[in-house]
Amino acid sequence: MVNKTFQYDFNDLKLSVSQIENVIGYKEGEDREIVTDLIEEILKESQEISNIKAQYTIFNDVQFDSETKSVEISKIRFNIKKIVFGQIKKSESVAIFLCTAGEEIGIRSRKAMQERDFLRGYIYDVVGSEIVEAAADLMQKELEKAAISTGKKITNRYSPGYCGWDVAEQHKLFQLVPYNYCGIRLTPSALMDPEKSVSGIIGIGEKVKSNPYSCSICDLKDCIYRKAREKKS
Amino acid sequence: MNDILQKLAYCVENGKINKASPYPPNMKDQDGADELSKRALEEGIKPDEILENALIPAMANVGNKFSRKEIYVPQMLMAAKAMSSAMVHLKPFFQSGETKRKGKFIIGTVSGDLHDIGKNLVAMMIEGGGWEVIDLGVDVGTEKFLKAMDEHPDAVVGLSALLTTTMENMKKTVTVIKEKYSGSKILVGGAPVTREYCEKIGADFYSPDPQGAVNYLKQLVS
Repeated sequence: MVNKTFQYDFNDLKLSVSQIENVIGYKEGEDREIVTDLIEEILKESQEISNIKAQYTIFNDVQFDSETKSVEISKIRFNIKKIVFGQIKKSESVAIFLCTAGEEIGIRSRKAMQERDFLRGYIYDVVGSEIVEAAADLMQKELEKAAISTGKKITNRYSPGYCGWDVAEQHKLFQLVPYNYCGIRLTPSALMDPEKSVSGIIGIGEKVKSNPYSCSICDLKDCIYRKAREKKS
Repeated sequence: MNDILQKLAYCVENGKINKASPYPPNMKDQDGADELSKRALEEGIKPDEILENALIPAMANVGNKFSRKEIYVPQMLMAAKAMSSAMVHLKPFFQSGETKRKGKFIIGTVSGDLHDIGKNLVAMMIEGGGWEVIDLGVDVGTEKFLKAMDEHPDAVVGLSALLTTTMENMKKTVTVIKEKYSGSKILVGGAPVTREYCEKIGADFYSPDPQGAVNYLKQLVS
């Protein structure tokens, strides 16, 4: 089993104020004075408070069942459902990954919300989500490089809770990795701690492909990331 | 409308919290919702009037602008903060019973789901509509909703979910609440939720945006 760990510096992510404004929904030329300074401040703060880590483990013991739209990884069966199954079914192996922005940004978001500083709490939340997604992008690129060096390709990343894959299957996913893998733990209701974390699966193989517009396969029509990407394209 | 209430409504609608607040820039160094609500009470305007003639219509305007996509979440949050700073001065009157709220509203994001921005927006708008909001937070199990209903049996309930998979937990919560409190009213919302899904799970109302929820509650008590 190949296992890789990454620790990223906040500056590696190259997050910009305009990127965060785009996720919030602002269009080109619209007045965003209300948030610009605050985003800048929170991005600066994030350099100090983020603890950005990513880790993946590659499993070769993988079997797909097209009837039940499930995959068995090291004897654990995942009911990944139709959408995810369709995207990764041609994989020869899979990478199980976790990635986190660290706990502080989530704590600050909740604290600000509790203190009724709603806008600050919201910006912490958006920045935290962008940190963890950008870090997962970097990790995914590393995995892709490693796959290409052996003549293979990778799929997009898919997470429990999205595309019909039940969030409760996080428990199974965490059974595949050691306790506190990547510094992330799971609550009984399948939520990750630190909350600004992502987990999931990436398929690897000669016949797989990545989808440049992954939002098109998801059934979450009002997601802010889908809206932001649609606006960019 | 009284001049001071007009100014207060304008401050709330535009997110002017207090004199020290730099936003919006064209109102720099002017009194905000905090100072104006305090002054309105000092001038003898009844808290009911402040609520009905300034805060509620201002927040309704904010909600409608958001529904029409004329403003984004940050403006809405600033307006909610401005309203909140005015509500601080009205709180003693709610506590003494001199000013009555329109009702109680219990809200939470369902079990397995940690997303709270949408839930918070709805809570803020409903508070701005004159309701007492009991916010149970995120990842709220059915038992916690039931416990809150036991404490506030007349409350309307709001359930939020952002994940397609956790919205299934809404169904469980709706069923259990309706079993014990058959006359209760339950609102559902969140990105994956639809009107059809609302009907399917036996909830009473679905709104795609916070103002729709406020309007529904208004209709319930009118």
